Amino acid sequence: MNDWTDTEGRNGQEDRQALIRIENMGKTYDTGAVQVAALKEVDLIIRQGEFVAVMGQSGSGKSTLMNILGCLDRPTSGKYYLEGIDIGSRSSDELSLIRNKKIGFVFQSFNLIPRTSALKNVELPMTYARIPFHERHRRAMELLQKVDLGDRMEHMPNELSGGQKQRVAVARALANDPPILLADEPTGNLDSTSSGEIMRLFTALNAEGVTVIVVTHENEIAAFARRVIRFRDGKMISDETGGGHYAVD
Amino acid sequence: MLWIENMKMALLAIRINKMRSFLTMLGIIIGISAVISIVSIGDSMRGVIADQFKNIGVNRAMIYVSFVDDRRESDLFTLDELEKVKDAFPKEIVAIDPSSSEDAELTRGRKTIQVALEGVPGNYSDVQPLDMVDGRMINAGDLAAGRNYVVLKKETAIELFGKAQASGETIRAEVSGEPSELTVVGVYEKEATPMDALFMGSTPVAYVPYTSLVSTGDYFFALNFYIAEDIDYNVFKSQVVGLISRMKNRTADQISYNSAQEEMSMADNIMQGMSLAVGAIAAISLLVGGIGIMNIMLVSVTERTREIGIRKALGARTRDILIQFLTESALLSAAGGLIGTLLGIGFVMIGGAVAKIDVVIDPMVVLIAVAFSAMVGVLFGILPASKAAKADPIDALRYE
Repeated sequence: MNDWTDTEGRNGQEDRQALIRIENMGKTYDTGAVQVAALKEVDLIIRQGEFVAVMGQSGSGKSTLMNILGCLDRPTSGKYYLEGIDIGSRSSDELSLIRNKKIGFVFQSFNLIPRTSALKNVELPMTYARIPFHERHRRAMELLQKVDLGDRMEHMPNELSGGQKQRVAVARALANDPPILLADEPTGNLDSTSSGEIMRLFTALNAEGVTVIVVTHENEIAAFARRVIRFRDGKMISDETGGGHYAVD
Repeated sequence: MLWIENMKMALLAIRINKMRSFLTMLGIIIGISAVISIVSIGDSMRGVIADQFKNIGVNRAMIYVSFVDDRRESDLFTLDELEKVKDAFPKEIVAIDPSSSEDAELTRGRKTIQVALEGVPGNYSDVQPLDMVDGRMINAGDLAAGRNYVVLKKETAIELFGKAQASGETIRAEVSGEPSELTVVGVYEKEATPMDALFMGSTPVAYVPYTSLVSTGDYFFALNFYIAEDIDYNVFKSQVVGLISRMKNRTADQISYNSAQEEMSMADNIMQGMSLAVGAIAAISLLVGGIGIMNIMLVSVTERTREIGIRKALGARTRDILIQFLTESALLSAAGGLIGTLLGIGFVMIGGAVAKIDVVIDPMVVLIAVAFSAMVGVLFGILPASKAAKADPIDALRYE
């Protein structure tokens, strides 16, 4: 599974199963006149198979953390290792490749490609992974069936309900079988029924071994996670394990 | 593998904005069809001009004393002088005549027709073969005897006699107010193209021995002759100009020598230059078309900023996005180029059919035009595509 032999883990044995290791990481935005510190001195380890909720008010730094965890952005200080790879030293094309193989994104506003069928949307990450047409077609159908959209494959995003769109997005996130599922307010635009569906889907995927990280400000959503990390003013203020009240049926 | 996907995505993007895509292509369509039709029209015109000169006789030349201030009677020629020139170049000059042509009215019964009488030498049929439908052409015997014979055009004969077989018939003619009687010895046929009408006028030509228009003692303006094909043309030119200048006591630069050959290459050069210049102007519209494509691609990139962000988040590399948008702009302009090519060829074909001329479409020009339009697409697609490719995924995802 690990394509990168670059293992710089210093704590050897202990961190072998650390999927994500963040050491004294900070992110500062240079807005010209002032420097805004969005994240300060973050230390975090997330292991394979965890279900983590990241919580905080807007401006707490949770979105910045999300962008860095998703390899969309680089830290300005400290280190971020994903499967032992130092993300800060990678080029933007290398980050594209890492995102493609290692991270499945689920966004608040679904972010499906417009005027492109559900099937084509799910195929897209596999297209960029240069997977041959027939294989990606077969896998995309399989994934859509898995999220209960077997009868909506040829539908365009504007022909789908919010909950259906988000399920297409989940199927797309799983396309290249990534170890991490990163969801940013995945239920923010959904009614409670659809929200429940999506969260149960996450729980089921987590049970299959996928590491799920959900950014949210809703306690009901965070309650699905076994570990809740809270942020305020760019700092991690708490890290609690022991949640997960909602078990899979 | 990915380029098929890119092609599909580009086609989709073009289809979604049909009207916009078409209007964008219009610049290229107009540019390409203009370049192709202008260059083809130019080439076709050159062909027409060459044909026209062949009609007149490529080996034909005319010599006369230029219009100088101290014009004197001796600047004109007599038939004696014509014989002298002919004798001086027995090998080089195949046929010679006094370049005589008169408007005449031919009358038979109540019918009168305007024709242009052309005085021809005895061996005219050797240098300018005609399609005879009846009788024969004027010959050397007619010339020597000064017979009042005439060869009519088929249409003229039919109008006067109601038939093309008019040999042996006689008609009354009035040349420069002087009445005479002419005997028809032959009828010729010549298919006229609209171009002939343009170049020659529509008065039908009737041929007579030149001796019936110019008699011994008459003065005429120029010598018209046909040169043998296998001679050194420039040597002959300087020799004949030298002879005339001595004969007329003029300097060589006071002698005008016009040859069909020289005029043809001059006209050809002018046509070539003209079609090149107009073609270059048309090529500018291609440039404008390219800028149109760039403009629309920039709009499209801005509109699809969020899509670009999503693609990048899902693993698209800089090059993937670049190629996606380059494919779109290249496809847009290549499609425009193709439509423009077909349209241009269509224009030329229709124009050629209407004007009844053989059109020349240089496949090289078509190839260059299409290649150029695809190049325009790629070239003017680079800026928008690199703008898209360089977009930061976070900013792009946040774009509303």
